[in-house]
Amino acid sequence: MIQKKVSCPNCGKTTTIFGLPGEVKKVVCSSCFTEGKVTFPKTVSDTGAAIEVSNLKKVYGDLVAVNGISFSVKKGVVFSFLGPNGAGKTTTVEMIENIREPTAGIIKILGKNIKTSFDDIKEKIGILPQEFHSFERLTVRETLEFFSKLYKKRANIDDIIEAMDLGDQEKKLYMNLSGGLKQRVGVAISLVNDPDIIFLDEPTTGLDPKARREVWDVISDLRNRGKTVFLTTHYMEEAEYLADHIAIIHKGNIIAEGSLEELINKYGEGSILHIKNCKTKDAVKFLKDEGFNAYKESNGDIAVKIEHKDRVLEILSILRHECAEYDSIDIRRSNLEEVFLHLTGARLLEGD
Amino acid sequence: MRIGIILASFKSDIKTFVRSKGTLFWTLAFPILLILIFGAIFSGAGEVEYELYVIDFDESEMSELFIEILGETGVIKTKVVDVEEDKIMDYIEENDIKRLIVIPEGYEETIGIVQMGIDENATTNLSFYFDQSEQQTNSVVRSVINSVVINMNMETSGGKEIIHIKDVETISGDFDFIDFFLPGMIGFTIMQTCVYGSLERNTKFRKDGILRKLLTTPITRSEWIFSKMLFQLFLSFVSAVLIIIIGILIFDLTVHVNIFVIAIIVANSFLFTGIGMIVGRFVKEEESAGMAGGAITFPMMFLAGTFFPLEQMPEFLQAFARVLPLYYVNEGLRNAMIYLKTDDTIFHTTIVLIFACVFFVAGLLLTKWKED
Repeated sequence: MIQKKVSCPNCGKTTTIFGLPGEVKKVVCSSCFTEGKVTFPKTVSDTGAAIEVSNLKKVYGDLVAVNGISFSVKKGVVFSFLGPNGAGKTTTVEMIENIREPTAGIIKILGKNIKTSFDDIKEKIGILPQEFHSFERLTVRETLEFFSKLYKKRANIDDIIEAMDLGDQEKKLYMNLSGGLKQRVGVAISLVNDPDIIFLDEPTTGLDPKARREVWDVISDLRNRGKTVFLTTHYMEEAEYLADHIAIIHKGNIIAEGSLEELINKYGEGSILHIKNCKTKDAVKFLKDEGFNAYKESNGDIAVKIEHKDRVLEILSILRHECAEYDSIDIRRSNLEEVFLHLTGARLLEGD
Repeated sequence: MRIGIILASFKSDIKTFVRSKGTLFWTLAFPILLILIFGAIFSGAGEVEYELYVIDFDESEMSELFIEILGETGVIKTKVVDVEEDKIMDYIEENDIKRLIVIPEGYEETIGIVQMGIDENATTNLSFYFDQSEQQTNSVVRSVINSVVINMNMETSGGKEIIHIKDVETISGDFDFIDFFLPGMIGFTIMQTCVYGSLERNTKFRKDGILRKLLTTPITRSEWIFSKMLFQLFLSFVSAVLIIIIGILIFDLTVHVNIFVIAIIVANSFLFTGIGMIVGRFVKEEESAGMAGGAITFPMMFLAGTFFPLEQMPEFLQAFARVLPLYYVNEGLRNAMIYLKTDDTIFHTTIVLIFACVFFVAGLLLTKWKED
């Protein structure tokens, strides 16, 4: 059986689905009941990493842009390289893409060293460089056809246009497209050779929220199609929404790595449940007696730190048992911003 | 080298070019407009001054006075040379002389005969040899000589036409300013499209991430550059053909297209693409690329003999012009297409080919896609 993590295109809810190699499975979102299909890859991915980076270093004069970092990216996941501007994200990804020469370190893609085998690797990767703009006066279809002809292995252009929802735009000149559509075309270009790994370097920078969401949907779809996506971003919501695995880079060093849950559990404050306007005396005591880290906030509300969402039901049960009176309850979860703040003492968007 | 990839890139260039009205205008319509405007202005109009060779067979006080007055006009700089009468044409051809005047033996004596009333109808003919291809310059020199002759006639005989000027053309055929201008326009247009085209690829495409993108695709640097050269050559020949058609249809020009013309057009394309690549290596910003392109093409446009003959410029500028590649392109095209001077054509073509090899190879070596 193959395990696949999919996001609902309508509400964004992420679910894990199991299936056989090559199977197309019908799924229904448990949250909004949207129906969809999930295609499982024909071959079971081996346990080898899609990308392996060891002791990668880049030095410009006195400036150490990337400081001997090591990490690996599993096949079929969205790996997010998160960090503020100037942290070394693009330098790293461009060294992996063989656009920049590393000062030191080893990079392997699909088990092959890029120094010696990049010509072979080129056929298996798709890249959307940072701030990429294609040929202004070619139409969307002509652009895809041009890039497609550069490869031996070619995906069907019609399929890409359909998958990227570019059917209405295919005859428009690239220069006449909106920012979001241009980025979508950029992603589409990176798919013309049906690559195993797709590198997207800050694909949503400068886009409005709607256009950003459109690009997110495209990336979610790539994951659903079994592609490995290496995504660099400085937007924490982007990494939270899309990534299976996140590496946080700061001043050329990877300062934390793991899934969103792991990072938040390790470096965040977990989740906090707020009981608004609680009129029951001793509510804090009841909760503390049950082993919860509960305290009264300055506005009179009660805050309870929770490590796992299952414990919310326990709290509700205690409150009901004690006949506690309150107006409402809400839960605020720790996010990557807090993780970054905890790790660096700076906010993500001003971390550099 | 994979032909399929090169042709795909070439095809996308053609589409991009045809859809860019601005590029179409500057590449094709602008040179045609320049030809029409300059052609109309200079085909019959006058110009400035110049060197005038003088052969004085009379060697008299009157002939020396005539030469002195010519020099005093400030427009003509006389240079007296000693040549035998039957070798004048050879001398002109060997030394590439544009203008020469011959004062015949008996010049002073004829004036004396009229002054003394011995023969009031006696005349003497000054022979003015000139290169028809430099009509605008020669028309000025001719009118200055004419004024001096009228004054001399007035001073010596009260206005009787003793001294006449006989015109002798030194190049067979009816050459005009447009004959001079059109080949220069071809050289200039190719230079412009190649320099700016090459600069665009190295700055705009770098800024837009296209070069970074291509670096990660199977297309090689040489395949990419070769496909761009194919497009530049296509543009060069389209421009040249259009300019020649205009020359033939509007100005009734006689143009000879031969292997040298084709060789110079090809070499010119490689030469200026190479220069564009070299500059593009050092100019990173798209905005600076236009200025850098202008810094290369603008001086060459005026100093390399595109619009005006070199000898209209001060000597130090003429010396400078002779190190500019466009000068050899222009001269080579003129000699190959219009004047049919084989030796000069071979010389200029060779120089252009050498320039092309040096600059294109240097451009290739300096162009890199990888970031630092």
